[in-house]
Amino acid sequence: MSVPGHGIWVSGGRAIVALLVLSSLAAASRSRLAGELDASALKQTVAREKGRVVLLNFWATWCVPCREEFPELSKLQTRHQREGLRVIGVSTDFPKERAAVEKFLAGERPSFPNYRKKSGGDDQDFIEAVDSSWGGELPFSVLYDRAGKKVRVYSGSLPLAGAEKEIRRLLAAR
Amino acid sequence: MRVVRSILVLAALGVLACNAVAEAPAIGAAAPDFQLTALDGKAFSLSSAAKAHKAVVVMFISTQCQYSNAYNDRMKDMANAYASRGVQFVGINSNKTEDAAEVASHAKSHGHTFPIMKDPDNKVADLYDTRHTPTVYVVDSQGKLRYAGRIDDQTKAADVTSPDLKNALESLLANQPIAKTTTKAFGCSIKRV
Repeated sequence: MSVPGHGIWVSGGRAIVALLVLSSLAAASRSRLAGELDASALKQTVAREKGRVVLLNFWATWCVPCREEFPELSKLQTRHQREGLRVIGVSTDFPKERAAVEKFLAGERPSFPNYRKKSGGDDQDFIEAVDSSWGGELPFSVLYDRAGKKVRVYSGSLPLAGAEKEIRRLLAAR
Repeated sequence: MRVVRSILVLAALGVLACNAVAEAPAIGAAAPDFQLTALDGKAFSLSSAAKAHKAVVVMFISTQCQYSNAYNDRMKDMANAYASRGVQFVGINSNKTEDAAEVASHAKSHGHTFPIMKDPDNKVADLYDTRHTPTVYVVDSQGKLRYAGRIDDQTKAADVTSPDLKNALESLLANQPIAKTTTKAFGCSIKRV
């Protein structure tokens, strides 16, 4: 494209466009998600944490109680990190809302890794694989002891004081 | 004597507290009956509605939950399509965070003409141990629970591979056994009192 007298502006404009493209590519590569998980990969992820107490939390950006408890999960992770707690978040947002998930995580800057439930398949299979008592309600959390044994599930918002007491008990059991 | 009486009172209160949230009703068992007032002021009784129809579909819905909202059109279409076949759809909103005015406005904007009721103190949600929206129940003309769970397997209508509620209704209307009587899907926890 050549516009008499505007050559510098045009090449400058192209440079800006190029910079914007590069910047969006860089942002995409800086995803705050640790990856995508199906039910099998989720089990492996929890199993890899053997030796730690694991709190698995399922959330979504549009789920108000999920958003409300999210900062508390970060604080919980920070408070008990050295004792061996690992909080793991799993977003169940719709595939089209990946940008909203990234934005939410960028704002929250959680102290724990977060994955995204892999798209496709029947959600019922995923829900059943996590816990047979889970009806699919969000938020939902699962607590595992250091041996990787499921100790407790929490339907709805995490009762923070009670859950932390339970976590402390599990962390103390070596 | 006073101590014994206090213990008895506390025990009774304990029983009441334990009964506040019932266990989920079993498929094939009598669906727990309830009476509510619809937003248009008309009284609704599940047992009466069941007797007057081939089936009643009770849907726990929300105005703010994206999962529930993903099904707004399907709720409207199914309610309209099955009305002429003797099936009544009703909506129940048990969320304490969504008031009657909001529920009425939501229903109007989505063309929901089926009866919608607020569930004060989430008593009906407790009766069914309903944890999230959307959750649907199919009750037959005998008042028995025949299906509990999701509308289908996909929030995007075009991607549906398992139209579970539709399948249940078709089987019921054809006097055939329902192949899948319970299903699960993600949804929003009901904000209880």
